[in-house]
Amino acid sequence: MKTILALCVRNLKAFIRDRTRLFFSILFPFFFVYVFSSIFRNEAISDPVPYMLVGIIIATVFETALRISASTIDDMTTGFMKEVLVSPVARVSVAAGQFLSSAIIAAVEGFIILVVGFFIGFKVTSVLTLGLVMLLMIFVGLVFAGFGLFIATNTKNIQTFQIVSMAITMPMTFISGAYIPFSLLPRSLVFVGYINPVTYAVALFRTVALEKTGLQTDELLAEQLALQIGEVVVTPWLAMLILFLFGLLFMVLSTLTFVRTDFSRINRNKDNSIEW
Amino acid sequence: MPPIIEVRNFTKKYGSFAAVNDISFTVEEGSIFAFLGPNGAGKSTTINTLCTIFEKTTGTLLIDGKDVSLQKNEVRKAIGVVFQESTLDTKMSVEENLRMHCVFYNVPKGEVEERIRFVLRLVDLSDWRKKSVASLSGGMKRRVEIARGLMHYPKVLFLDEPTTGLDPQTRAHIWEYIVQLQKEKGITIFLTTHYMDEAEICSRVAVIDGGVIVADDSPYALKKQHTMDRAYITTQNPEALESLLAAHKLPYQKKAAYYRVDADDTALLLQVLSAQKDSVTDLEIRKGTLNDVFLEITGKEIRG
Repeated sequence: MKTILALCVRNLKAFIRDRTRLFFSILFPFFFVYVFSSIFRNEAISDPVPYMLVGIIIATVFETALRISASTIDDMTTGFMKEVLVSPVARVSVAAGQFLSSAIIAAVEGFIILVVGFFIGFKVTSVLTLGLVMLLMIFVGLVFAGFGLFIATNTKNIQTFQIVSMAITMPMTFISGAYIPFSLLPRSLVFVGYINPVTYAVALFRTVALEKTGLQTDELLAEQLALQIGEVVVTPWLAMLILFLFGLLFMVLSTLTFVRTDFSRINRNKDNSIEW
Repeated sequence: MPPIIEVRNFTKKYGSFAAVNDISFTVEEGSIFAFLGPNGAGKSTTINTLCTIFEKTTGTLLIDGKDVSLQKNEVRKAIGVVFQESTLDTKMSVEENLRMHCVFYNVPKGEVEERIRFVLRLVDLSDWRKKSVASLSGGMKRRVEIARGLMHYPKVLFLDEPTTGLDPQTRAHIWEYIVQLQKEKGITIFLTTHYMDEAEICSRVAVIDGGVIVADDSPYALKKQHTMDRAYITTQNPEALESLLAAHKLPYQKKAAYYRVDADDTALLLQVLSAQKDSVTDLEIRKGTLNDVFLEITGKEIRG
């Protein structure tokens, strides 16, 4: 437990110290807030700004969690991992420290956008909603941190990872309903959206953050907060279960791969042949 | 006292290629033990296996009586390691690196501060405590790594080529620290090097080549056994010198400007030469070095 916390604090410090990265990772979502809330101002949805804003928050949480948990792998392969390797520390706790710090950073970024959101028309009526929103952001952060670590431990090389993560993040954010409502997407892409776990994160988060938890299923469907997949209606609560299972699966998978990864073979210099 | 490191019939294969082939050796507690050999001789393979990073193919490796394959965690607690390449966390400060190490090794909270002061004083980096590791020079980083490796008071400190790539002055300093450690703390130091002069300081040297230990003794004994002293003599009276050397059955080689004499016993040689002291204009005696030992044993030269 001590190790998990120490590594978590270390990752948070590392994130704050990289000023350039910090600046741009905060700036980036604002760009989306501006662009998308202007584009969809005349959409059928009753109040587009909060609707878009909440989508952008959760997409940012997803994207940040994925990016941070994966980039910590890069930190570690610069040699530091070998120090961990020869120490009596369990590798599982190293992976856990990564998840936790990624989720926290992701939630903090989400929170920053949320605060700005209050100035451009986003409102909550109870403190409870705010608390739930924070918890959900950490939850979604953890879910996708597991996914990010899984991709990173399987690509092992930062260049490959960047291409792979780009190819995965882009469709996952854009075909999730976060930026572009499903009603504007072609039918074929909506099907892709159904198998995208981010879709469920967006639906769940919107329902809670926009305080629509009291709505009936048909109202949720009308607001695009529940999904009609064939006969099945995925309510926000079912979405939470799907997310939980997805997160659990990838946390277990990534931890297993992480424990088995031979970090002594991952080297900074590609031409560095095996030493003996 | 049983040896702190015991290796019996250790073999490590990569596919069909044996990087280390059936080696056995022991290291006494509190000594400095060096693995000497060229690149690719099997030094790093052995050190990585002892550090529980690689898995052996066959053999028995014990550190402080614990098996490196079966009691990994026990072994890990007992050792400190400084690898060839830097394993510092470059995003953190010197102190943060040391503190993280304490977490990994479960150093009691009350002792952390005192140990940080102690190890930093040992490597002369007390003033650099709050500085980011990324801002340090190569030699300083090495010293931080050595300091970090000592934070949990290991019984054995492994140093894999601790001075490679450092300038002579820094190398000399790092050696001071190493010798000081061994003397003051009684830590056993296991190191690999391909610098001959560094191996000279060690209590014992094992020469490894092609995955096999070809010699294992104190530097003094190795030199005594495998090298001769060599005298380079210039004289005004070559005939007299030749007949004198021949009379004492000392083998010599005549070169353009000097005579080269190989002698086991330098004292005897000097005694013999004293008869010619008026005509001998120059005399240089070179003691055998570990480089000569290596050359003698393997027929190859190590290029440092």
